[in-house]
Amino acid sequence: MATHNTSMSSLEADVLVIGGGSTGVGVARDAALRGFSTVLVERRDLADGTTGRFHGLLHSGGRYAVKDPSAARECIAENRILRVTAADCVEDTGGLFVSTPWDDPEYGDLFLEGCRATGVPAEEIPVAEALRREPRVNPDIRRAFLVPDAALDPWKLVWGCARSAEEHGARILPYHRVLDLEAEGDRVVGAHVRSERSGEEFEIRATVVINAAGAWAGQIAKLAKCTVNVRAGMGLMIAMNHRLVHMCVNRCKRPADGDILLPLRTACVIGTTDVFVPDPDETEIRQADIDLLLDEGEKLVPGFRQARALHAWAGVRPLFEDTAEVAETRDVTRSHALLDHSSREGIAGFLTITGGKTTTFRLMAEAAVDAACQQLGGPRECTTAEVPLAGSESHVLYQIGHRLAVREPVPQAEEVICECELITRARLEDTIKQRDTTSLDDIRRLLRLAMGPCQGGFCIYRATGILHAGGNLDGAAANRTLLDFLEERWKGIHPILHGDQLRQARLDDWIFQGILDVEHLPA
Amino acid sequence: MSYDTVVVGAGLAGLTAALRLTEQGQRVLVVARGVGATHLAPATVDVLGYAGDARVESPASDVAALVASSRDHPYGHVPAGDLTAALDWFRARTEALGYAGRLEENLLLPTALGVPKPSALAPRTMSGGDLRMGGRFVFVGFRGFKDFHPTLIADNIARARLPTPISARALELVLPAQRRVDMSGRLIAGQFDTENLSEWLINALRNRVDPDERIGVPAVLGLRRGDEIWQELETRLERKVFEVATLPPSIAGIRLFDALTNALRAGGARIVLGVRAVGARTTRARIDAVDVANATGTVSHPTGAVVLASGGFASGGIELDSFGAARETVFDLPLIGIPEADRVRFAPGYFDAQPLAGAGVGTDDLLRPVDSEGSPVFTNLHAAGAILGGAVPWKEKSGTGISVATGYAAARAVLAPAAPAVAESVP
Repeated sequence: MATHNTSMSSLEADVLVIGGGSTGVGVARDAALRGFSTVLVERRDLADGTTGRFHGLLHSGGRYAVKDPSAARECIAENRILRVTAADCVEDTGGLFVSTPWDDPEYGDLFLEGCRATGVPAEEIPVAEALRREPRVNPDIRRAFLVPDAALDPWKLVWGCARSAEEHGARILPYHRVLDLEAEGDRVVGAHVRSERSGEEFEIRATVVINAAGAWAGQIAKLAKCTVNVRAGMGLMIAMNHRLVHMCVNRCKRPADGDILLPLRTACVIGTTDVFVPDPDETEIRQADIDLLLDEGEKLVPGFRQARALHAWAGVRPLFEDTAEVAETRDVTRSHALLDHSSREGIAGFLTITGGKTTTFRLMAEAAVDAACQQLGGPRECTTAEVPLAGSESHVLYQIGHRLAVREPVPQAEEVICECELITRARLEDTIKQRDTTSLDDIRRLLRLAMGPCQGGFCIYRATGILHAGGNLDGAAANRTLLDFLEERWKGIHPILHGDQLRQARLDDWIFQGILDVEHLPA
Repeated sequence: MSYDTVVVGAGLAGLTAALRLTEQGQRVLVVARGVGATHLAPATVDVLGYAGDARVESPASDVAALVASSRDHPYGHVPAGDLTAALDWFRARTEALGYAGRLEENLLLPTALGVPKPSALAPRTMSGGDLRMGGRFVFVGFRGFKDFHPTLIADNIARARLPTPISARALELVLPAQRRVDMSGRLIAGQFDTENLSEWLINALRNRVDPDERIGVPAVLGLRRGDEIWQELETRLERKVFEVATLPPSIAGIRLFDALTNALRAGGARIVLGVRAVGARTTRARIDAVDVANATGTVSHPTGAVVLASGGFASGGIELDSFGAARETVFDLPLIGIPEADRVRFAPGYFDAQPLAGAGVGTDDLLRPVDSEGSPVFTNLHAAGAILGGAVPWKEKSGTGISVATGYAAARAVLAPAAPAVAESVP
């Protein structure tokens, strides 16, 4: 991990994984558990790409039951596994599919049939019962179905995998960019990488290189002169300040835009849209898409537009298409693709695993490492379906209110730096030390710092002061991380700014610009 | 019961207008949803700190240029001479807080990030932090008080752009045994008031600070006895001591709120917090009564005039809905500075010029909110403070200055509605 500060003129491993999203860390963990020496490189922070920007739904498979039965089967199987092995990342919210007045109630029959055929447990319940469970849901719904959807914390999942991989000897290197792949003849033998923090460049040699770069997999494949046709399907999400619903509420219809609303810790998230974008790094949030999500939210929960929207963001799905042009991204299968470039292009030692979705990341990793085994001397058994992630050893599912429950008996025992997310000073300092990071944005992903209603209005000044006082940053660097954070945060705030959140943002303007005057910090 | 004037809002603008009217013999009612921005902002009076990118040295000369270039700016509706008169009046009414400074030159006071910030006036507990003359500074923090980080302040202030370079260092002290680990500014201020923390602080600093060093402490030296404790520190340490504004709540701002509301009550005004002005009874273009909703219902308060000082977006005086429509929340007044619904409201960069930033009510020269033709909506309604459009006070560092100046000018307009404004001397 980044705690290894020693110079690395070269590294050697059985497996080199490129990409630090759920797929990549899943592959690294799987390979490490099977006893392979493993290195993972990620150009930015872990979970900074698609995984950290998805809606957070651990699919039951209900969403795919009608139109993508194989994806549905994979989802329910993985759903059951992750509830045990990644329990600390899963909140068992349950899922509800509802037929609103805009949806054909007869689709419910197709839905039930599809769920039966794919093994997704689904049960129709009376509308009155559904409204009792979810009082804010549109009272005019006509049918309602229960499924075992759940909420998944992407950051915990990825860091849990990464820590688990490290415990088994893997080296996880965030902020390491692949500049080139090294080839010998028709074989990929490693990568030339650069540390984005120190600027140091070095080689990593590996028997097998696994490209798990998701929507960026095409860019990596090109370095080995291979072709991987991944298109980026941009999806927009909006986080709302309260749990307007306590279950994952889905529209019972063919999957479309803005038809999922799910609780995520103390907030809830509505998603999503699906638009092809030429460059996965270029995602633009358009007002029209915001309005679309708010209007769809209004259909699920009347009054949605008056509720407080916190933050908007876009993620990109890796949509693999092997053959012809596809008009609609939703028509591309959501199952994954494992490409062995030796059979495709005659390039040995190089695999690509892409497509898929976070719910099935473990399965994707298993498939990729199974394939890698063939080039590493024969099969070794996969154990990721049984061995729990770091942090989930006790198999206790995450429960909302966990942090509060820990603090409540002794409310004055520790200094709280972020009141919204109940983050203590000790926790912040431990994280800074353990992860050897000085980026407030990294800390945000690790601790949820600044992800509550005030969006960092108070805690970001405090965290900057603590980073600086602890000697982690000099003054100029502390100022830079503070300003970078404010800019980054604004990107997600300004597209949805209205109502009470505008009031909050203006208070934050007063704090940062009026009281602290960040605009005139010395460089 | 009827009033001469109902003031909506208990921030600095509302309290200024209310006090000015009360001391002129009016019967005044102040209604507000709660306390205002005094509890958030430093207690300084910031008239104008930045004109674009340029730091303002003399607000007296630069306000005129600002008004000339930006015709909707609230200062454009404050009669010439009133700005000086307002500050003189303010200083006289807050004598116990000992405001220092003048309109002709800004003080440069360190923020809690160590940025020199221009202010025209500051309470004497803060004004000793003026950085313009150079010298040696030591910033003192308390371990466990998370809203003030002395090492970062010292580091930044030593590298700041200043007329005379300064040197600065940080000192962290451990508060005497505490019942709580998580200390707020309010708790520490309470302990200064009641538990003689000043004795501890004097002993802790006496041998650790050189005679020529100025001592910066977080603005938590006491809520009721702040000024007295500050004097005690300066006298007994024989050093210059000054407070630095922290993250909210602002203890120094609460002292100011208390000083103004105490003066108001002593003058016979009535202040009701926790209620909401929701509309008006009107006859043609005149407000006859203000409707105020409380926990049990709505009460109509007959009045001769109204001062609307309900604040901007931050205070709920203006709201923006999810369709991009903005409204003034009490009287549904027309607004200026609102981009059309299909236009960009927020620029993508945090420090970019923000299209919505100058939103608020537009007024005539009697600070009466006007319609799109420029006619007053109500002849006896005047606006003051952050609800006025045309300014970006958190960037200009003009928020409290606008509040004092327009609160003062609105009171004058209430008192002499027809007469053109003439500078008057302070009684």
